[in-house]
Amino acid sequence: MKRTTRILLFAALSVLGAAFVLIGAFSGQALAVLNKAIRVCLECIGIG
Amino acid sequence: MAKERRVKGEWKRLSVQAAMFLLQNPKLQNFFLGTIDTGKTKVLCAPGLNCYSCPAAAGACPIGSLQSALSPQKPKFPFYVLGFLLLFGVLFGRWICSHVCPFGLVQDLIYKIPFPKKIRTFRGERILRLLKYAVLLVLVIGLTLFDTLVPYFCKYLCPSGTLFGAIPLTVSNPMLRGQIGLLFWWKIGVLALLLLLSVPIARPFCRWLCPLGAIYGLFNRFALLGMIFDENRCVGCGACETVCPMGIDPKGQVDSAECIRCGRCIRACPTGSLARRFGFASQAHKKSTM
Ligand code: SF4
Ligand code: SF4
Repeated sequence: MKRTTRILLFAALSVLGAAFVLIGAFSGQALAVLNKAIRVCLECIGIG
Repeated sequence: MAKERRVKGEWKRLSVQAAMFLLQNPKLQNFFLGTIDTGKTKVLCAPGLNCYSCPAAAGACPIGSLQSALSPQKPKFPFYVLGFLLLFGVLFGRWICSHVCPFGLVQDLIYKIPFPKKIRTFRGERILRLLKYAVLLVLVIGLTLFDTLVPYFCKYLCPSGTLFGAIPLTVSNPMLRGQIGLLFWWKIGVLALLLLLSVPIARPFCRWLCPLGAIYGLFNRFALLGMIFDENRCVGCGACETVCPMGIDPKGQVDSAECIRCGRCIRACPTGSLARRFGFASQAHKKSTM
């Protein structure tokens, strides 16, 4: 892959990633992740 | 007995893996308390397949979080989790698999057990390797989105959840132990099979089934951390191919989605034809050993 393509893809996807995290954080999705992560996930441990 | 072929400097990677395990799972005391961490750091997604129900985990599993975010109960585009996956992928690609993921570490350790004939790859394995994309598209995304509220991957397949969550929690928590049923034994069976397979074959779960590895592999070509191959230096001795745990031929395949960036081929190459790439160079060669 050409250097320029690499740089462009990297830049575009990093900006997109950061924007997604911010949008998610401000729309309550971060809280939803936290709420799920601090409770024992019964499916994960094979009893749910 | 055939042993895994030795490559110098492997202990360095093992130390990084151990440090990363502790960084993602610092609350070791919870293993004895039969409970999980409820700290605020769990708002952040971990880079590796690190179950949030591991008692010591201080972060959220990205695949579990993705499934939960896709649940039809709350139909929203999963910006937050996808944002983390994009950032991890674009920075590190599958380097996360070889240096950060706890389940990768476990498989690496088991593969060190001597076995009469270690299997590099076999006929038809290519097709098996495609399974991980099916797991991602069907178990993680498809069924979760369109079918029911069940996180299929976590519930029926994820061996990381069984090893780091189910086993320690049921051992130390009698209430949870009392609820063990058929599903639990199914998950133990899946885990046992994968661990047994890890003795003759390096990282069977990573090769064939892991949806997170499938995602990170897509970024290998342009991630900030990558690899380069200088064909002018290569003498075709095949040392790199022999030591590759993922059973690929690094020459001409340095951007393969299967490469976990472990660096064994770099250290095995006698002419320095392979090197790590930090940045965007496509040709320029830098000798690197880590
Ligand atoms: S493929 Fe999956 S389980 Fe294997 S190291 Fe990568 S993230 Fe971990
Ligand atoms: S190609 Fe090299 S860095 Fe990639 S998995 Fe194989 S040995 Fe490791």
